[in-house]
Amino acid sequence: MKNLVILAAIAILPLKAVIAADYTVDSSHTYVSFSVNHLGFSTMRGKFNEQTGSLKFDPTAKKAEVMIEIEASSIDTGHTKRDEHLQSPDFLNAVENPTITFMSTSTTWDGDKPAKITGNLTLLGVSKPVTLTIISMKCGPNPFSKKETCGFDATGSITRSDFGVNYGIPAIGEVLDLQIEFEAVKN
Amino acid sequence: MDQLLSRPEIQSALAPFVIALLVYLGLRKFTGAAWLWALMAAFLTSAALINGLTVTPLTGTRKIILLVIGAFFIAATFRWVMPSNGLQRRFSTIISQLSLLWVFWAVVSRMNSTAMVLFLVGSISLVLALEYLFVRMIDKPAQLHSAGFSLLLGVGLSATAAASALLGQLALALAAASGGAFLGWIVTGSTPAKQSRQPIAVLPYIIAPALLGVAAVIFARLPWYAMIPLTAIPLVVSLVPQKAESRLLRAILSSLPGLVIALGVAFYVWQAGSSGSGY
Repeated sequence: MKNLVILAAIAILPLKAVIAADYTVDSSHTYVSFSVNHLGFSTMRGKFNEQTGSLKFDPTAKKAEVMIEIEASSIDTGHTKRDEHLQSPDFLNAVENPTITFMSTSTTWDGDKPAKITGNLTLLGVSKPVTLTIISMKCGPNPFSKKETCGFDATGSITRSDFGVNYGIPAIGEVLDLQIEFEAVKN
Repeated sequence: MDQLLSRPEIQSALAPFVIALLVYLGLRKFTGAAWLWALMAAFLTSAALINGLTVTPLTGTRKIILLVIGAFFIAATFRWVMPSNGLQRRFSTIISQLSLLWVFWAVVSRMNSTAMVLFLVGSISLVLALEYLFVRMIDKPAQLHSAGFSLLLGVGLSATAAASALLGQLALALAAASGGAFLGWIVTGSTPAKQSRQPIAVLPYIIAPALLGVAAVIFARLPWYAMIPLTAIPLVVSLVPQKAESRLLRAILSSLPGLVIALGVAFYVWQAGSSGSGY
């Protein structure tokens, strides 16, 4: 009986491998951007220009694992001097901590689509849980490249003081809203 | 109160200046190392206000804070442990160099070999120059405090102009503390006993500007060559004759050339297109 169970498990493995797919981030269609209150006057927006990552997606098993690695020095707010300051130890300390990472730990599903992805965001060497709400998601062949592609739009927020980024609080907002547009191509 | 204490001018100017002055005046009759304890108390307060006294994660800036506090402690106490002047000088040089490596090695180890060699040559030269220049002034309080004050002011203003308010504030807090203790000396004229005028006493004036200056170069946008005129401040100050009778006049004359260099370098860095505010 025990042997039968083991044989059955071995037989199922390739099937699961077919259903579950691994994807690599398409950097040219992935955007990690943020917005923050500026002195109470307006909302300041910025983005990161360089990110890599991966997605493991298995809708039948309701599993989704996302990993995004962002180059801290690629921060871009459309103002060179401000970007230099944002890279300094006052904010991202990009020389000492060159990458910001998000590694998912759990996913909640709404039917056959993921609704929320919770994971650990590591910024300045501090890891804190962050939940991203999936606004929309689609998987299927890209009509141009014909490659199997998955993409989603997600939002979330972080309190920067949780990560030790305290400069300018409260004049510059403590809470950052995150907007993530993510596309990944099947390996 | 919290709002008041969160203002940069309180954290890195008024608070350290007043604390250093009061501690110096309070301790000067009891110990020749009063100025070191005064600066240490002032810096500890400023660091707590600016950065908090958290040590995790142990970033480069937090390492610098710990090392500067440690340098004050060593400078104020190690003269009993290490009576030989030669040994003190060698110890100061080695401990300063090891401090630089501890703070920056994680970053330097990712550099290419040329950049790594340049960092090592530059940092060793910086430490040796500061050690040599400050030890020469150990018997001349007007020069010693003028040079320390001007150098830290120059590093602080330049770091701020080079896009790091955090490093800038820490250096400016030390400059303000140095100014407070300096004012205490101008008012009272207390001359430290001979046994406290030893090479180890200048360790904080080597470690603090070296660490904060190099951090502004590596972590922010301070051009490396800005450190050359800044390092020359103690040399220029040491050339000022100490013939004036009045302590105030001696202090002013000693401070002037250093202040001119410090302000000039900071102005250049600001003009050269680093950040500051206004965006």
